[in-house]
Amino acid sequence: MPDLSHHFHFKAGSMSFSRRNFLIATGVAAASTSVLSACSSGSEGGSSQDKAPKVTGAKTVEIPVGTKADSTGPAPEVTGAVKGGTIYSLQQFDMDHMDPAQIYVSTEGAITVPIMRGLTGYKLDAKGNATLVGDAATDAGTMKDGGKTWSFTLKDGLKWEDGAEVSSDDLRHTFERLFATFVTEGPRYVQDFLVGGDKYKGPYEGKSLDSIEVDGKTITFRLKEARADFNFTLAMRAYSLVPKKHDTKEKYDKQPISCGPYKVESRNIGKSMTFVRNEHWDPKTDAIRNAYPDKYLFQMGYELVASTDRWIADKGTDQYAVPIFNEVAPERIAQVLTNAELKKRVLTAVDTVTYYWPINMTRITDLKVRQAINYAWPHQQLQTIGGGAYSQEIATTIFAPVTPGYTKFDLYGVDKKPGGDPAKAKALLKEAGKVGQKLVIAYQQSDTAVKTAVAIKNALEEAGFTVVNKQVDKSTFYTQIGKIDNDFDLFAAGWSPDWPNGYSQFYPCWSGKNIGDGRSNYAQLNDPSVNKAIDAASQIADVAEANKAWGNIDKMIMELAAVVPDYHKIRNYLYGSKVGNVIWDSANTCVALSKLYAKK
Amino acid sequence: MLRFLVRRVIGALVILLIISAITFWLFYAVPRDPAMMSCGKNCTPENLAQIRKNLGIDHSIPVQYWYWLKGVFAGRDYAGYGYCDAPCFGYSFANNVPVFDTIMDRLPTTLSLAFGAAVVFLVLGVGAGMLAALKQGRFLDKFASSASLLGSSLQIYFVGYIAMYYFVAQLGWLDQPSWTPFSDDPVAWFSGLLLPWLVLAIIFTANYTRMTRSQLVEQLSEDYVRTARAKGLSRANVFFRFAWRGAMGPIVTVFGIDLGTLIGGAIITEQTFSLPGIGRLAVKSVDQSDLPMLLGVTLLAAGAIVFFNIIVDAVYALIDPRIRLA
Amino acid sequence: MTSTDQQPFLSVRDLKVHFSTEDGIVKAVDGLSFDLLKGKTLGIVGESGSGKSVTNLAILGLHDRDRTAIEGEILLDDKELLTASEKQLERLRGNKMSMIFQDALASLSPYHTIGKQISETYRKHTGASKSQSRARAIEMLRRVGIPQPEVRVDDYPHQFSGGMRQRAMIAMALVCDPELLIADEPTTALDVTVQAQIMDLLKDLQQEFGTSIVFITHDLGVIADIADDVLVMYGGRCVERGTKREVLRSPQHPYTLGLLSSMPNLEHPVDVPLNPIPGSPPSLLNPPTGCRFHPRCTFAEKVEGGLCSKEQPPLEVTNGRGSACHLTADQRAEFFTDLAGSAAN
Repeated sequence: MPDLSHHFHFKAGSMSFSRRNFLIATGVAAASTSVLSACSSGSEGGSSQDKAPKVTGAKTVEIPVGTKADSTGPAPEVTGAVKGGTIYSLQQFDMDHMDPAQIYVSTEGAITVPIMRGLTGYKLDAKGNATLVGDAATDAGTMKDGGKTWSFTLKDGLKWEDGAEVSSDDLRHTFERLFATFVTEGPRYVQDFLVGGDKYKGPYEGKSLDSIEVDGKTITFRLKEARADFNFTLAMRAYSLVPKKHDTKEKYDKQPISCGPYKVESRNIGKSMTFVRNEHWDPKTDAIRNAYPDKYLFQMGYELVASTDRWIADKGTDQYAVPIFNEVAPERIAQVLTNAELKKRVLTAVDTVTYYWPINMTRITDLKVRQAINYAWPHQQLQTIGGGAYSQEIATTIFAPVTPGYTKFDLYGVDKKPGGDPAKAKALLKEAGKVGQKLVIAYQQSDTAVKTAVAIKNALEEAGFTVVNKQVDKSTFYTQIGKIDNDFDLFAAGWSPDWPNGYSQFYPCWSGKNIGDGRSNYAQLNDPSVNKAIDAASQIADVAEANKAWGNIDKMIMELAAVVPDYHKIRNYLYGSKVGNVIWDSANTCVALSKLYAKK
Repeated sequence: MLRFLVRRVIGALVILLIISAITFWLFYAVPRDPAMMSCGKNCTPENLAQIRKNLGIDHSIPVQYWYWLKGVFAGRDYAGYGYCDAPCFGYSFANNVPVFDTIMDRLPTTLSLAFGAAVVFLVLGVGAGMLAALKQGRFLDKFASSASLLGSSLQIYFVGYIAMYYFVAQLGWLDQPSWTPFSDDPVAWFSGLLLPWLVLAIIFTANYTRMTRSQLVEQLSEDYVRTARAKGLSRANVFFRFAWRGAMGPIVTVFGIDLGTLIGGAIITEQTFSLPGIGRLAVKSVDQSDLPMLLGVTLLAAGAIVFFNIIVDAVYALIDPRIRLA
Repeated sequence: MTSTDQQPFLSVRDLKVHFSTEDGIVKAVDGLSFDLLKGKTLGIVGESGSGKSVTNLAILGLHDRDRTAIEGEILLDDKELLTASEKQLERLRGNKMSMIFQDALASLSPYHTIGKQISETYRKHTGASKSQSRARAIEMLRRVGIPQPEVRVDDYPHQFSGGMRQRAMIAMALVCDPELLIADEPTTALDVTVQAQIMDLLKDLQQEFGTSIVFITHDLGVIADIADDVLVMYGGRCVERGTKREVLRSPQHPYTLGLLSSMPNLEHPVDVPLNPIPGSPPSLLNPPTGCRFHPRCTFAEKVEGGLCSKEQPPLEVTNGRGSACHLTADQRAEFFTDLAGSAAN
């Protein structure tokens, strides 16, 4: 076939792996957080127009928990915003799921902000600073027993798109249906946390879960362990409300019912989706969403180059288009960022993801060897291969600089020697008596994978290692490195927290409790002091205290050299000239859909 | 003719059956785990097992294939989605939409793209080839020949992006490529597809120009063409009714193959112009290890090629009475 | 040719047909003249490449005009053909003059029925209706001896046998009762019995319609059978002409002599070897100097002063009889002796 070719990925660039792998690779930030001081809109940062964004050392900000007043609608007006019009979007991918329980991918979480509401959610101020507030609940929840019991009260006046009142039954049902067998793709935090969750099989056989108690408009969750950040967990899209009456089980995935300001008017899977106003939504019940446009029209199937070119051209309805996940194509990034006019329409943001290379602790047991790998690492070369400073910030920590708790440190002298320090690495190997140590490195196929692998091999061999590179098919990559018994010493991975704190960053990947086939502690780090520190930090109710503790854990793990941090992802988004108030939604790691307006 | 058709259709079904089996086998020939694709971050073995059950892939490969076949010919009961009537091609692993519905939804785009482009490249290619054949050795011939050589060496994404940049973004002569169903708005349908048609035509026209020219030159030197002229028939009459008739055969054959492959999905074209057709569906299904979708798309592509092969053979027999269908 | 009081129906005067090719100019026909009377048959003999087919294509105006330079005049019934417009020629072709080709399978369109191919000629020139012209096609097929013509009329050429195809071709050529028929080796591809049938058919038809025939062949036996006059061509020129009897019985040119002696003859004993003419036909791109035949001519050295390689012998014609050779009449009488005549009957 003439037109069938080898070009499946010919312009994928930074998104060269499929989104589903991306999901696993980065730990999709369904409700992950980032902090705004690290983001700059092009119009503000005009002074250094051809300099790449720099995030290291950016001031991190806490995400505070809001009060009842903060949780009460309506959302504060955006200065200069006008009602009406249509906002468009050009998207590479459509959503695979519309049932909140099945949503884990950040795009799906972001795109559904206008139609789905959970008990809690993130409220953005004019600068984009986020606060955790009650969304369907009157406030961000009440904790008892140090976090083992949580209560939320449903707001009055909340209605589904058919006009029916949102009831406590709907609330209970929302959480009980998470246990049904068709829910396989969403996060499983709440299921694991709730007492009796391990035995419960869902509400469809007529049984209810006793650890969820409903009293009038109040719902109470009883958890196995104290979870001080449970209200952050609930802000994940997976825990948005589903009406019991309209729950069509697996079919709900295709016909979600809204209680937000918009509802799905039409959907053509893989092509387009339209949101129109939900007449039954009362702005007084919603502190988060402004709902300025009359309509949203999402257009799917646009490759990055195609969408970037349309945004550059800025013609017709594209003037009203915003990206959800379509970054500026790597091929166009220099053109866009060096053009002062275009740069005014660029939103630059740092993702919460950190790409890193876990070291298999069961195979590389000698600390000095692991340290040597860190010293020898060719950070700068890898940054260049990956698109340079426009799209990557060299990492020295596991935390991304935009996640609360981030503490800056650089244990292996990367700042001074970004190209690596082979002499130091060699000395350490010699000390350990491991010169010539063999390393088997696993990596996925991608546009830059081979270049990356060669750069790493060269750098490590210069330091005295013997390197074997193994390319692993991307569909089985995480299965293979996720096996307890695997043959790799070092592998490409990455993680972004599911909600904005250290627990979500460190427990899944670095707690000895989360070692197992298919689990995400890929390094299989099982260090008693780290385990203890993670458990302890999880219990700290004071956010500032907790953040300090998590920053320390980051340092502990780096001292153990269980991982080589690689880079933090910088994303650049171009948008149409007639879209107003394009700010970064730190909570959903995308453009804040509910704050936009169409300029007249 | 009827016997020919019956025989060929049966043959085609056998081929498609074999292709489906091979696709199934190839899919699993490399280590891959479709369930993994639907497994979230905490992908526990229990969760994986549940996904396999939901997707209907908790059996051995031959058994899975058998269920798939059963679905196609007799319908199939899915754990998660209830009974699916024959012909049931299953549900997408990625988004649980019935494969058949998705393909039917995408097919109009691909058909519009293929047939529209075909009209353009046939008219341009054959027209230019005819002119070149009539003006053998003259400037027009040389121009058409070298233009076609240039065209055939271009790549769609290259021409596509350049064309979009200049004709859409800079000059504004053409509309941004997009898909609107013909039934919704014929004008939007046309203007949204015009650029892809033209770009596709640039690539394909070349081949038809060359082929038409060489076939015609060959036919024009045939004895029967001279005989026709010796009978007093006009140049034009002889050109179209005799020489062109003879030249058509190979062109129809290549056209049939081209059309078949285009309908199987113009992958790069659809990627380049962001058109939601079969080609993009194919890419996505490969990328997501979406076996049912991949099978559906593969069968459609193979079916289109097989179908057009039969058509080509039948048309060939109509053109050339020396060929007998049996 | 034989008598001057009758106006020739076809008259070719000093015809030159030159093709330009990448390598140079090919002088396919280089100064050819002849006349043909009504109802008579002129046989043109020559090897392939001698210019005989080119001459006839030029008469019909079917040569490649873009690449051909043509000079002289061709008068058909007093009408100048070389200067005639394409439209005028189209009206003549298939109507007043028509042509039968050598390979009937290749020369008939494989895509149309025999009937269609015959009737379209008739329709084109007479404006008859479809049914009339179909009836005419059947009639013509019957006349050329096709059995069951009303059935076979709908057959395609590939469904006919070789002989039947040639008959169909003749039917097609004669459908408008042409006054001039050019037959270009019409029997070459056929076996002997069929060949004889076709020859008889042509003769019968000529008698019936009074058609003038130009018969092109390399086979002197066929000439002996059908021609009134004979014209021998070599290297684009006429080397000898005269009545059939004159040329075949008493050839004046060594080439004609050569042709005659290379003919198999039933009257010869089987063990007498044939004498093919040694050498190969001349290049028309760079023809030999002097007499074009001289490199192959066994008598060339007998002419004094190497004249044959220096000077082109002129064609001297008296009463339609003549040849182009430097040999004197005496020399011919001496050298040719009993070689001639054996082929003629």
